[in-house]
Amino acid sequence: MSADTSFAKRSNRAAILFLSPALLFVFAFVAYPVAYAGWLSLFRWDGASMPVFLGAGNFVRLAGDAIFWQALIRNILVALSAIVLQVFLALAIAYCLVRIVPAFSRIFLFFYLVPVMVSEICIGLLWRFMYNPYFGLVNAGLSAIGLGGLKRGWLGESETAFTAVVVVMSFTYLGLYVLLFVAAVRNVPESVYEAAEIDGAGDFRKFFSITVPMVWDAVRANSLLAIIGSLKTFSLVFVLTNGGPNHASEVVSTYLYKMGFGSFEMGYAAAIGFAQMVLTALGAWIAFRYMKRIGAGAGAWS
Amino acid sequence: MTAVRRWNLTSTIVLAVLTAHVLMVIFPFFWMIYSTFKTNREFMRSVWSLPKSFSLDAYVGAWSGGALGGYAVNSLLIMAGATLITVVLATLAGFALAAYRPRWIPAVELSMTAAMAIPAYVALVPLVVMLRGAGLLDTHLGVILPTAAFNVPVSIFIMQAFFNTLPRDLFDAARMDGASEWKIFLRVALPIARPAMFTVAIVNMIWVWNDFLFPVVFINSPSRKTLPVGLTDFVGEHITNYPVMLAAILIAAIAPLVLFVFFERQITAALIGGAVKG
Repeated sequence: MSADTSFAKRSNRAAILFLSPALLFVFAFVAYPVAYAGWLSLFRWDGASMPVFLGAGNFVRLAGDAIFWQALIRNILVALSAIVLQVFLALAIAYCLVRIVPAFSRIFLFFYLVPVMVSEICIGLLWRFMYNPYFGLVNAGLSAIGLGGLKRGWLGESETAFTAVVVVMSFTYLGLYVLLFVAAVRNVPESVYEAAEIDGAGDFRKFFSITVPMVWDAVRANSLLAIIGSLKTFSLVFVLTNGGPNHASEVVSTYLYKMGFGSFEMGYAAAIGFAQMVLTALGAWIAFRYMKRIGAGAGAWS
Repeated sequence: MTAVRRWNLTSTIVLAVLTAHVLMVIFPFFWMIYSTFKTNREFMRSVWSLPKSFSLDAYVGAWSGGALGGYAVNSLLIMAGATLITVVLATLAGFALAAYRPRWIPAVELSMTAAMAIPAYVALVPLVVMLRGAGLLDTHLGVILPTAAFNVPVSIFIMQAFFNTLPRDLFDAARMDGASEWKIFLRVALPIARPAMFTVAIVNMIWVWNDFLFPVVFINSPSRKTLPVGLTDFVGEHITNYPVMLAAILIAAIAPLVLFVFFERQITAALIGGAVKG
């Protein structure tokens, strides 16, 4: 008994000692700045002169700021597109790699991961060539298949800029989810598939009635990862369109950057970030709860 | 694992579709590589064709002037500093989370998970204020500290997952011998943790190398800019010579790709380990 309590004391102390450097560091450069952003969001401040206390003024302005809300909606659209074009597409690809062409899974995985490794700035710069209105590959491809009438300056026109950015994102981050799902799909026991094969199930049936329910935890975790990543997105948008033209592809991060470091409205920029974070937490939580329920449903189908 | 499957029509179709898809995904990179061997005239004549000659002019053009080399050195310094801090802190903390379970540990895990979800730009304005106050704005250290902090939580979870795989008897045996907890960490845990620390280091090196938001905001002096930030300047200045521009992009992209080629196993393990908690 006394040995137990002394070990509990000793481990408590050791845990504090080993954890405190990391915790202090994260507190100083993550938690404290976030709280500080909440404080700064109450002021009008250009970053140099005396801050002027506004109270909730920045948030009132934010509530009526159409550009902010449109940017936030675009972040949500990015998240939804990521769930479909990255998470679910990756699940299908992972099934194919593990179950249908396992001999090639390693080489495919390698190439799918190449864009995950390279800086988003490099990727964005390369895609600016692909989308180039004069010699870009996208336009050349359209001409080649007789759809020359659809040629346009994809990143430079308000109607297409955001979609063009989303396409690049889905190509860029897909590989991460393929990797995560390959690991999950490999963990599904072979015997389950064998039982289904005896019943004459084809790949479609096996995918939807075995793989999807069996890896549903991974689907949920990866969707959450995709949502969080989508709300964080900055570099690709910055380098492809910088939110333009005329805010047509603006996301919250690029808007904050412009407000804080273009217009030097530091207080308002802090308010944008703070509001975004609160809405992010709320959104992630709701999505998580909701998918738990779908997950229970998917389990029941199998 | 998976039993050997008989090759059939489905396999052929799937292989063809996947091949076409993966080619689309990596074509920009493939195009970048072969285009750097063209001269600007050849590039202007036909943008998408393979090079007829094998010219290294683009690399000479990109490297001359020395700007890219300077950016690369800055990136290297920031990468080394941030990675070092993150690995040390994450190893200590990951060990603690795996080896000790006081009642308050789940609260620490939860707050680390929450920290992972926070977009870095939320902290951007306050960090500028803090760094300016500390005289660290426009310095390498000013980028290193927040960058490391934002990479610590996920790195802790990767280390914790590794330490969780170790049998607890290992530490108990050392305790029986009268070793202090610090000795146990130093003499028992640390030597076997080296591969996991290396894994965490590799992924952090890639993340820091590619990072853009903090360096672009915190650094103004051209002589201190990192490669991705400097690259955007470089591209603006070399708008007329596309092969030189592409060679510069390739130079910025090559370091993570080389790491990936050599350490694919460690990197994929770290990404899977980090995502499980995410």
